[in-house]
Amino acid sequence: MEDEQLRTYAEINKRIESKTVSVMTAEEFKTKVAGEGLAKAAKDVDVVTTGTFGAMCSSGVLLNFGHSDPPIKMQKVWLDDIPSYTGLAAVDAYLGATELDDNLNMFHGGAHVIEDLVRGKPVKLKSVAYGTDCYPKREFESWISLKTVNQAVLFNPRNCYQNYAVATNGSNKVIYTYMGKLLSDFGNATYCSAGEISPLLNDPFFRTVGIGTRIFLGGAQGYVAWEGTQFNGKPLRSPNGTPRRPAGTLAVIGDLKKMSSDYLRALTMQKYGTSLSVGIGIPIPILDLEMAKFCSVRDADIFTAAFDYSETKRARTVLREVNYSELKSGEIEIKGKRVPTSSLSSIYKARQISNELKKWISKGQFVIQEPIQKFDLEREVKPLEVRTKEACK
Amino acid sequence: MKTKYLLTFPNEAAEEPITYRLVKDFDIKCNILRAQIDEKGGRMVLELDGPGDMIKKGIQFLKSKKVDVSAIKEGLRKDEEKCTQCGVCVSICPVGALFLDKKTWKIIFDENRCVVCGLCIDACPTTALELLL
Repeated sequence: MEDEQLRTYAEINKRIESKTVSVMTAEEFKTKVAGEGLAKAAKDVDVVTTGTFGAMCSSGVLLNFGHSDPPIKMQKVWLDDIPSYTGLAAVDAYLGATELDDNLNMFHGGAHVIEDLVRGKPVKLKSVAYGTDCYPKREFESWISLKTVNQAVLFNPRNCYQNYAVATNGSNKVIYTYMGKLLSDFGNATYCSAGEISPLLNDPFFRTVGIGTRIFLGGAQGYVAWEGTQFNGKPLRSPNGTPRRPAGTLAVIGDLKKMSSDYLRALTMQKYGTSLSVGIGIPIPILDLEMAKFCSVRDADIFTAAFDYSETKRARTVLREVNYSELKSGEIEIKGKRVPTSSLSSIYKARQISNELKKWISKGQFVIQEPIQKFDLEREVKPLEVRTKEACK
Repeated sequence: MKTKYLLTFPNEAAEEPITYRLVKDFDIKCNILRAQIDEKGGRMVLELDGPGDMIKKGIQFLKSKKVDVSAIKEGLRKDEEKCTQCGVCVSICPVGALFLDKKTWKIIFDENRCVVCGLCIDACPTTALELLL
């Protein structure tokens, strides 16, 4: 009965185009299921919108500056003093969110330049080259902005983690990590998934999210380009299907020129580095009862593991498992101690995104794209070891 | 009446047991929130609690000892434009001056509870928190 189809992508999109679609945010849908039951909610609702807004380090912008006269084959590029990767064609460069300048100034890294670009600010482009017969120019300096460049494509190899760890610190000194400032002696704990409203926790087996899925990305429409790096399709799972550890990830792509600083923000994780907070919203079509069931999952039934981040080895010991209802309550217990919790991702913004996406769909501005290809859930994560040449064969 | 003050004192005043005198002579409840002393003198963030006239007299006494006293109206500022309402600061704040509003999921800053310790400053990923002392 669970796989009995309630509606197809084509039917949903027809209803979106005629503005008769029934769309709810994940929070609204869960409340409806709790009040009216799963079958009724599944029958009434076509699409559920989700959202997340958190630090996503594996992010960056692919730029094409246009050609100078005389032309230059840019060998090295700096944007507001931040180096950008140019091992591409003559005037293409990739600016990564975590890139720092030579002084390791963590208050102004690649992410800050990306935010400045999105805000419409001019950015100083500096380039040097070795000069060729066809690209004779050896130096170039100018101002650029999103208006002047040919393309500015946000292309993030790993975003939108399906669940993530909880970080705490059992050592006797404060540590600064990518999970934020962690006070000594389990003084605090940080988590970074929006829990029940986070996109991929509402589609744990990637039934409706795959290559080609249209998404809300940084305030504009973007797409899932590929599976994200470090994708783990076989995590430890709860009976409801949700992973109990960091699992699937997404590579996403979209036009930076259409995005907004409301949903794309530079971050400084002090004494760690820079990162980009990316706003992502994914619509989940309620194709059948099973999808409705997935979207009805609550914080209390989504688990993750807490780790001691002062342990500096690859596989840290699990301190305990904890659910998102406990995490969002503001306090969890670790080793008999009440430990205050902080969310690294903005649940406020995540809710805003799911509401915005709902609006787009209701107004007929955003149609649902069926995945062109599904992800391979057999994929597991490999570690990096020191190996001999022979061991790589 | 409970007010926070920033006390700046020169080297020669550093040896005067000023908080003792405030308690003993003026019956003022003193809560030292921050204190820092070096070769040039010192700075102290002090919360004074007592009747208005006694606090006024206490401050006059401090001034007679060449201690500069200024009321702290705002010790920490949260820039609402920069803040993304993530909540990293919430578990860092030891006195619950930064907390989550569970209805809106916004981060609220309560100036009255803030002890100007500054622990939150280097925890904020968007540099939205600024110590004004």
